[in-house]
Amino acid sequence: MSPISRRGFLTASAALGGGLTACSSSSAKSTPSGTRTVTHWDWFVSQEPWIKNEIAVFEKANPKIRIKRTVQVSDKYPDLINLAFRGGDAPDFFQIPSTPAFPDQVAQGWLEPLDARATAAWQSRFPQGSFFNGVDMVDGKVYSAPFGGAAPWLQLYIHNGLFKQAGITNPDGSVKLPRTWDDVTLAAEAITKKSGGKAHGIGFGNAQNATLTWWIELFVRGAGSPAGYGTDGPDYRVGKWTFGSDRNYADFLTLLLEWKKKGYIYPSAMSIGDEQARAFFERGKFGITVGGVWNQPTWAEHHFSDYSLTTLPSPTTTPKAFFYYPPGGRVFGVSKAAALTDEAWAWFDHLHSVEAGRRWVEAGQGLSVFPRANDQAKITSPQFQQYVDTRRYALPWPVPAIRNPEVSQVVVPAVKPDLPDVTAGLYTGQLKDMGAALSALEDRRNKALADGVKAAQAKGAKVGLADYVFADWDPTKPYVNKPA
Amino acid sequence: MPLVDTAPSPPAHRGGSGPATAAPPPKAPLRTRLWAARWSYLYILPLLALLLTFVVYPIFGSLVYTFYRWNGIGEPSDFVGLDNFRQIAHDSIFWDSVAHTFVYAIVVVPVQLVIALALALVLNNKKLRFSAFYRTLFFLPVVTSPAVVGVVVQLMLSNFGDTFNSWLLDAHIIDTPVDWLGNPRIAMGIIILVGIWQTLGYNLVYFLAGLQTIPEEINEAARIDGAGPVRTFLHITVPMLRSVGLMIVILAFIGSFQVFDLVQVLTNGGPYFGTEVVNTYIYHLAFGGNQAAATQPDVGLASAASFFYGLLLIGFSVLQVLIFRSIAKRRAAGRG
Amino acid sequence: MALLTARRPAPGPRPAGRRPAVNARRAAGRSATHVLLLIGGLIWLFPFLWTLGSSFKSADGFFSQGLNPIPKHVMVSNYSGAWKEASFEKYFVNTVLVAGGAVVLTLAATSMAGYVLARTEFPGRKAVIGLISVTLFLPHGYTIIPIFDIVRGLHLLNTLWAVIIVQSSSSLVFATFLFMGYFSTMDREIEDAARVDGASFHQTFWRVMLPLSGPMLATVGLFTCITAWNSFFIPLVFTLSKPELHTLPVGMYSFLGQNSTDWTFLCAGSVISLLPIVVIFLLLQRYFVNGLAGAVKG
Repeated sequence: MSPISRRGFLTASAALGGGLTACSSSSAKSTPSGTRTVTHWDWFVSQEPWIKNEIAVFEKANPKIRIKRTVQVSDKYPDLINLAFRGGDAPDFFQIPSTPAFPDQVAQGWLEPLDARATAAWQSRFPQGSFFNGVDMVDGKVYSAPFGGAAPWLQLYIHNGLFKQAGITNPDGSVKLPRTWDDVTLAAEAITKKSGGKAHGIGFGNAQNATLTWWIELFVRGAGSPAGYGTDGPDYRVGKWTFGSDRNYADFLTLLLEWKKKGYIYPSAMSIGDEQARAFFERGKFGITVGGVWNQPTWAEHHFSDYSLTTLPSPTTTPKAFFYYPPGGRVFGVSKAAALTDEAWAWFDHLHSVEAGRRWVEAGQGLSVFPRANDQAKITSPQFQQYVDTRRYALPWPVPAIRNPEVSQVVVPAVKPDLPDVTAGLYTGQLKDMGAALSALEDRRNKALADGVKAAQAKGAKVGLADYVFADWDPTKPYVNKPA
Repeated sequence: MPLVDTAPSPPAHRGGSGPATAAPPPKAPLRTRLWAARWSYLYILPLLALLLTFVVYPIFGSLVYTFYRWNGIGEPSDFVGLDNFRQIAHDSIFWDSVAHTFVYAIVVVPVQLVIALALALVLNNKKLRFSAFYRTLFFLPVVTSPAVVGVVVQLMLSNFGDTFNSWLLDAHIIDTPVDWLGNPRIAMGIIILVGIWQTLGYNLVYFLAGLQTIPEEINEAARIDGAGPVRTFLHITVPMLRSVGLMIVILAFIGSFQVFDLVQVLTNGGPYFGTEVVNTYIYHLAFGGNQAAATQPDVGLASAASFFYGLLLIGFSVLQVLIFRSIAKRRAAGRG
Repeated sequence: MALLTARRPAPGPRPAGRRPAVNARRAAGRSATHVLLLIGGLIWLFPFLWTLGSSFKSADGFFSQGLNPIPKHVMVSNYSGAWKEASFEKYFVNTVLVAGGAVVLTLAATSMAGYVLARTEFPGRKAVIGLISVTLFLPHGYTIIPIFDIVRGLHLLNTLWAVIIVQSSSSLVFATFLFMGYFSTMDREIEDAARVDGASFHQTFWRVMLPLSGPMLATVGLFTCITAWNSFFIPLVFTLSKPELHTLPVGMYSFLGQNSTDWTFLCAGSVISLLPIVVIFLLLQRYFVNGLAGAVKG
């Protein structure tokens, strides 16, 4: 539900997610008064105040255009947009869904190419290298544009009150933020023991089967596994997933089970959802949790600000791998049926303006693709500023579809059980042999990639597993993508 | 007694009951018989039209998908023959989910039927005051929507989970706190409890309806003959309820085998597929992975799983009917 | 239960001297029955009571009061807030239209069909009964796309008609069986009398038989209404481009997502969405045991 939609939105904005694009049969209807209406679909929940404000700003500047926004149920969005196109009833302008794969959406004729208006001059407002095939372009045509800026999408949230109570402070009395895996363990132990049973060191809400993998994502990156929980791609140094062969995964999961065994983890962590966990953190039921920037608006609304954040805890004090993002990005698209009218384009242009990005950052929603919009004095929340400052831990990484555009024809089938399942199984004890479970998962994922490549080859795509190997990639440095 | 009527017992009023039947002799030419029954056909037309258009055709329409690898976008084109069925039949998670569904049904149906029957017997007592009030009370959960039930149960669990844990810890029943939905067995137990809670009302009113059809005189007569309550129950109530009971059992099994919403909102099939039932399994295929990793939906595979399960169920239903019938026959034979 | 029936008075005349003891025992048994029923009922209703109580709690009260359904400080603002934010009044009207339409359509189609299947003989009758029985068992797989295509072909997308028709279709079979059962147990003489009076086939059904099936109309109507009221996916899909046509469960879904951490608010929203159907149920429930009894007789 909502945490996911937020996460989904953020990843899509960083072009990590997949996407669908908009369409409309009803483009720009005229009314007697001469105003024209653009129908707009999104699945914004916590971003709603921002988009509503943008609509107001836009309509004021363009009195002849009306934006008719429909907010759709987030976890049904891909189905709804698919049915809308099927029914010839798609919106003029839409937030690009996570499935099917972006090139499929273009192939289905959902999206209108923007090249006639998104000229080189228009593109120059974005940072250099923002438009790539498979990201916001398909077959050399532009279909979307980057929106959000990159920062690590997960943070370690620290409850200041519980930390102080447990005496985990610096000499000046401020809370001592954990930087290493051991710091986390020691803090969890101190909080659990000093609270006399009222609080636990660590908590999360895995009812939606997602948050446990967030812990993996955050902790193994610090330990030097650049693929994290592997949903955005394999370890591109070798072109493979390495859940079993890279010992960081087993090391962290062993640590997690240790925490559980010692009673540092909130006992109902598998029963509650992320939303409940957020509320319980706020109420001091546990001192450390993993989450994203989407936590912050709720807490701000409840006037809870006694927390801090940090990111990438690692076995040593220096993270050996970071968060990564592909260059470019896509959030919104114009539907084919809208035929890139003046109105649809004006709205697209407005949402991708520096000013809209600035308001996005001011509202505490996340970062903007425009560096100018991110550096500003208007950020009042210290925690959001902390988040903005973690930007340096997000680096561009290799994108196979840029080196070989044919890669975008590869559809990697889902595997089952996947990492979230395996993690939950290990956590509850349903899976006993961690090594075997992780190796089997690694094999399943790699086989799925090989199968996807084979299927694409069978259809004539010139692709191979070598397209996923970037031997020249150093995960501690930004990667410069170049077409082959 | 609908479902039983479909069994070999003869139709209600063969020949000459309703006005339309105007009793053409059975040997009359077909055209005459068709014309004589024209109003019957007209009256059944709306039902058949709706049923064929919106139920039967879509089922067979989706049968086509089972032969394709298809993500639900556009039209299916990647023909894979019976591969999808093969994949389902070889998926241990599918078979686990079948097992979970059967566990759910095999616990829910008998427990619920016993409670419902017991309650119905109490509430059917004409001398019991406020029985309509009690009936309302126990039926009420039926009107709730699964979405709201899911939210409420989650809120209750997250609020009470800790309370229950501290009670149990204090009483030394457990030595470490329980993660209620984090333990597959307990999670299944909670789903079963909520399932019983939510659907008991239907079975209660079916039984009440069945009990009302037993003429009071028969019970009276039994009592005068000196039969105690237990004997009255065993020798009068049970036989008289047999046909309605059969319907209730069949409906309860049909409903339980299709359990979906409750599992979806309470555990989403987790942890580690520990409460995955067939319909959540199918749902996860059709609507793409879970929220941590959005995956391509596989409508072909989902449809195949659905049909495969349908075949299993039809087989099971036939078996069930055969068993009931042979019991009935044996009884009849024993009596005769 | 055995305990309760065991307390029933034994038949037959009794010596006069023992009467007071029997009366006392009988009274005690009755009280015990009531006490047990009340305790059971309270447990059964607890989730409702807790939700209702929590909807009046403050956020802090919600956390500190745990199992206690009675709010310490009564807050009505959850209701005004939830009502305003979720635009329930708009969804409410749509839901009433959808549920009402589905009830009318289902009742019409299934009572007519149930009548002719139960009371008339015609070639193909058994085939029809067989067909509808089989649909009860057939897997309902991924049928949303074929249904969507049909509705599009009928040009009914984004109308409440689409929701009503598709929703009605989902519960036809069971309702038809209920009507069949009910009509087949009705006295034949009523029909014969109508025919003697010169009533046509239609008059017999609409003027005589249908009015006599009131309890079953109430029963099927109530079941259909409950299902339609709570339906989520069908109204979502068939009104996807017209949010102004959304129904309560669809509106409720966004409401749940947007307020996922304001739990007292959620409880208020849940109460609002359930209340109308509970009231409808309370009004109709006294008919439906009789209706079902009519259907299962015979």
